[in-house]
Amino acid sequence: MNPQGGRSRFALVILVLACLGLSAAAGVPISAFEEAFRAIPVSDPHRFVAAVELGLTQTDFPATEVLQLTGRVSATMYTAQEKEALLLPVIAAMEDGLPVDGLVTKGLEGLARGIPVPQIEQSLRQRRVLLIETRDLLYALGIFSVAPGSPQSVPTAIPTPRFNLLVTHVSDTIADYLEGGGSPFEGQALYQEVRFRLTSLEGATLKAEDVDLVLKRIEPSDLTRVALAAVT
Amino acid sequence: MKPNEIDDILRDTLRQEVAETAGALSGLEEQILGELDERRPRLRVSDWLRQMLAPTRGGRIGQLSVVGATAAICLLIGFFVAQQVASDGNAPGIRLTPSRATDGSQEVLFVLPALDATDVSVVGNFNSWEPTALSDEDNDGIWTASIPLPPGRYEYAFVIDGRWWGQDPLADGYVQSFGEYSSVRYVGGGDGA
Repeated sequence: MNPQGGRSRFALVILVLACLGLSAAAGVPISAFEEAFRAIPVSDPHRFVAAVELGLTQTDFPATEVLQLTGRVSATMYTAQEKEALLLPVIAAMEDGLPVDGLVTKGLEGLARGIPVPQIEQSLRQRRVLLIETRDLLYALGIFSVAPGSPQSVPTAIPTPRFNLLVTHVSDTIADYLEGGGSPFEGQALYQEVRFRLTSLEGATLKAEDVDLVLKRIEPSDLTRVALAAVT
Repeated sequence: MKPNEIDDILRDTLRQEVAETAGALSGLEEQILGELDERRPRLRVSDWLRQMLAPTRGGRIGQLSVVGATAAICLLIGFFVAQQVASDGNAPGIRLTPSRATDGSQEVLFVLPALDATDVSVVGNFNSWEPTALSDEDNDGIWTASIPLPPGRYEYAFVIDGRWWGQDPLADGYVQSFGEYSSVRYVGGGDGA
């Protein structure tokens, strides 16, 4: 092996690794979002960027996926108003401090399937309402979120990332149930769906005590009320 | 003929067909898994080490030291990034979700028999609904892909020559999305009991 060639190859490997490390640490810069919103163009870019900045304060914010969604919406043949309308439920959810993973992935799926943008928008709107209603339901049942690392004053105060996961999965289950043609009045069926989803994720992404807490406090009639809020 | 009689005939016919099909399918899963096991390349650490340490003209020890130094640098960079994230978790642009490579990911096998297909891929919420190709190296019509996924719930569908197909027989469940089916897999965690 030529020692000169070996050294330069070694230096190249270090350079590539350093670049990879730096780009991973940098994440998605806010300027990337500004550029993506300008490309649509959205009517109020300041509102959109402010919502993303708020979202970025969440530890589990799916920045890359939000940027992907914006880029793919931008690439469609729809009008700027229609593109903006599709993104609005996601932006509004960020403004409400809601977890947006479910909305973003549903938007990406709709675009990949070639679903008309107004239909995707309608689905996202319904899902956003379900997120709000589910979060409010958990609050009403005495289940709260606290900032990670804060002292847990009561056993029902869950660190925000864990609380957001619960909100996401409960509301997502109801949304899937409704989209599959399920009746909101069948609270027991809804409850079984929610129970199946949460227990399936127990130990994977959800803590057993969180699942237990929700399943003990939530009633089938609560889920009917949440579902009805989304369809009326 | 009474409606009840028609129901009985239909039920008997279906039962017969199910019994025949079940016979034909028995052992298929074992056969597929057996074939996949044969296809998987075997990584033999002893062979690799012997190759690296062999005294050849190029100097394998030199190569080994490059690999060692590279690994050390990777560890240092990883340590540096982890420190940054831990000390400033709320900084914009830094995502605190666990790294997909280090959070207990499991190799999830996607298998689809598609005899006449020329192009098969899988799309799902694990790849932002962008196609990941399945392969059929021995042209037996069984397409496979192994994808590392962290614990969680995944929705997906196969795309067979441009057509979406969301009813994977190996799925843990199904959901309807935009009027079409998607398959669901749970990785890690409970059993939904």
